[in-house]
Amino acid sequence: MSKDFIQTRAGDNSPSQEIICDVQNVCTEFDDNIVHHNLNLKVKHGDITALVGRSGCGKTTLLRHIIGLTKPKSGNVLLFGENLHTMERVAQRRLMNRFGVLFQQGALFSALSVFDNIAFPLRELKQFDETIIYQLVMHKLALVELEPRDANLLPAEISGGMVKRVGLARALALEPELLVLDEPTAGLDPDRSHNFIDLVKQLKKSLGLTVLFVTHDMDTLASLAERVAVLEDKHIIADCPLRELAEIDHPFIINFFQSIRSRLERL
Amino acid sequence: MAAASFYVAQDDQGRHHVQLFGQWSLRAPSNDFAKLKKSLQPLFADTFTKWDLLAVEQLDAAGASTLLSGWGNKLDDNISLRPEHTALFNTLIGLAKPPTKKTECDWFAPFVGIGKGVLHILHHFIEFTRLLFSLLIEIAYLFRHPQDFPWREFSANVFKSGVNALPVTALLGFMIGVVMGYLMSKQLHTFGADIYIVNILGLSIIRELGPVLMAVLVAGRSGSAMTAQIGVMRVTDEIDALTTMGISRILRIVLPKVLGLTFVAPLLVLWTSGWTLAGGAFASNMELGISFRFFFDYLPLVVEPINLTLSLIKGLMFGFVVALVACHFGLRIKPNTESLSNSTTSSVVTAISGVILVNAGFAILTRGIGV
Ligand SMILES: Nc1ncnc2c1ncn2[C@@H]1O[C@H](COP(=O)(O)OP(=O)(O)OP(=O)(O)O)[C@@H](O)[C@H]1O
Ligand SMILES: [Mg+2]
Repeated sequence: MSKDFIQTRAGDNSPSQEIICDVQNVCTEFDDNIVHHNLNLKVKHGDITALVGRSGCGKTTLLRHIIGLTKPKSGNVLLFGENLHTMERVAQRRLMNRFGVLFQQGALFSALSVFDNIAFPLRELKQFDETIIYQLVMHKLALVELEPRDANLLPAEISGGMVKRVGLARALALEPELLVLDEPTAGLDPDRSHNFIDLVKQLKKSLGLTVLFVTHDMDTLASLAERVAVLEDKHIIADCPLRELAEIDHPFIINFFQSIRSRLERL
Repeated sequence: MAAASFYVAQDDQGRHHVQLFGQWSLRAPSNDFAKLKKSLQPLFADTFTKWDLLAVEQLDAAGASTLLSGWGNKLDDNISLRPEHTALFNTLIGLAKPPTKKTECDWFAPFVGIGKGVLHILHHFIEFTRLLFSLLIEIAYLFRHPQDFPWREFSANVFKSGVNALPVTALLGFMIGVVMGYLMSKQLHTFGADIYIVNILGLSIIRELGPVLMAVLVAGRSGSAMTAQIGVMRVTDEIDALTTMGISRILRIVLPKVLGLTFVAPLLVLWTSGWTLAGGAFASNMELGISFRFFFDYLPLVVEPINLTLSLIKGLMFGFVVALVACHFGLRIKPNTESLSNSTTSSVVTAISGVILVNAGFAILTRGIGV
């Protein structure tokens, strides 16, 4: 490694105390269904945090609070130290360009082709001409292992796993600092999810990336997550490095850790 | 870290040395690559410029691509790079090139366009006929298996397109009746022909205006809703789910809509015509002093009852046309939002045009009856 490279690594590490995402005492309820009660979560710069929990325990809902789509009933969500809901519009938009989101269902624009979906955020910046946009889109497509000829297809014409990958390419288009991924590897074959994990790791290394993702896939969890936040009983019962889960005495975690222990040993 | 910047020096041979600093990436919020590219443009144009990227703190695909487009999409000896950046540049260079667009002018395009348009209409026509026949086949099937009749959907449609439409049709009918009654009273009064207001309003509203007004309102209200509903069912694969359960989509989706609207439309015609007449009677009362009692006693004497029958038949036909057109366009929707909005628009426009066309045809066929 060259000297400069070590310098950039050091540059990345210095703000590592910086908290990218700070969820404070969040409570959420839908009618009489209480989903979160006094939930706290902090994601630090450079962390790859997995959010796990039973199906329907409110993981997607929490992610939606974090990216500012919904407002919790009470409590605060700070992103990059600021509250999205109380910001002035230009600053809010700028902040929103600092994170990329992959939704559980992909959420591609159904009327736009794959190419236009990925080009959309780039065009919105109004900084690039079409040849540069073309090159950037092709670059993102190559990153997520899609063929250039897939670029002209409409979202309805591609497979479920491809939808995920196009969604990821779109989330990556603006080189975000924070990636929020809702079940990124669901619907990918083992090879692809393996490559996906490598891609995220490599992006983290080259650009410095903070990742918060939800997953039910133990392999993804074991090989990608550095920290894991467990959502259970309406709040985060554990937020620690994966291996430290072994020391926590909670029925859900004990059960949960059993299924990843063998995978951790294999690594 | 700092935003992207550059420094230009000139050596003794007059060559430019450009040194780049800072974050050449989208990460730095204050970067504007359009401006950077513009200010670098003269240096890009000069092929002897030396480029030094060794001091760049961060480089991403956007920054690299901007520089590459200035360098003519290739690297050469004038460019000094850090090893970890070279890989990025090489990846970008190796990507597929944008397809070159054909710019030559095609003189035949308008004629091809006409042909395509005709084929498009023909295609619609064929599909529409096919839908009509599948509907008839399903009806024939229902005669043999009456227990399969989708009563729930049928009654839901009657409720949605009939009962829920009562307030709006009444209100609009009444207001149009008032306006027409008022204008006609004025005219007739100048001739001293006050009493004929009943003839004119009665005939025009019962025979023409009531059914057409109902059809236009229903096309806008229920027709668009039907198209959009079927369209979203396609977008979300619900129609496929129905099919895999062995349920005919014509039977479950199209038939209840068509029969429901056909059933309820004549009743809506009666309702709309009634309120429009009431509006007319109200205006004649105000303007000419004709009492309501007299207006409605005199009405059956001057407007032949056959007109009411014709009006109900029209109601049936219009309801059928609106619902069938709505379903036709709904089933053609492709699973994307653009197609959804286009088809909904076409559905309403076609339904209203169809209704007016049918009305004209019907008027010609029945020209000797009841007037
Ligand atoms: N818009 C809404 N209105 C009412 N209830 C909602 C809404 N969104 C979510 N819920 C409820 O909140 C709970 C949490 O939902 P959420 O989608 O966050 O689950 P999840 O943890 O993401 O589950 P999964 O792992 O299956 O995706 C569920 O019980 C759901 O029914
Ligand atoms: Mg979810």
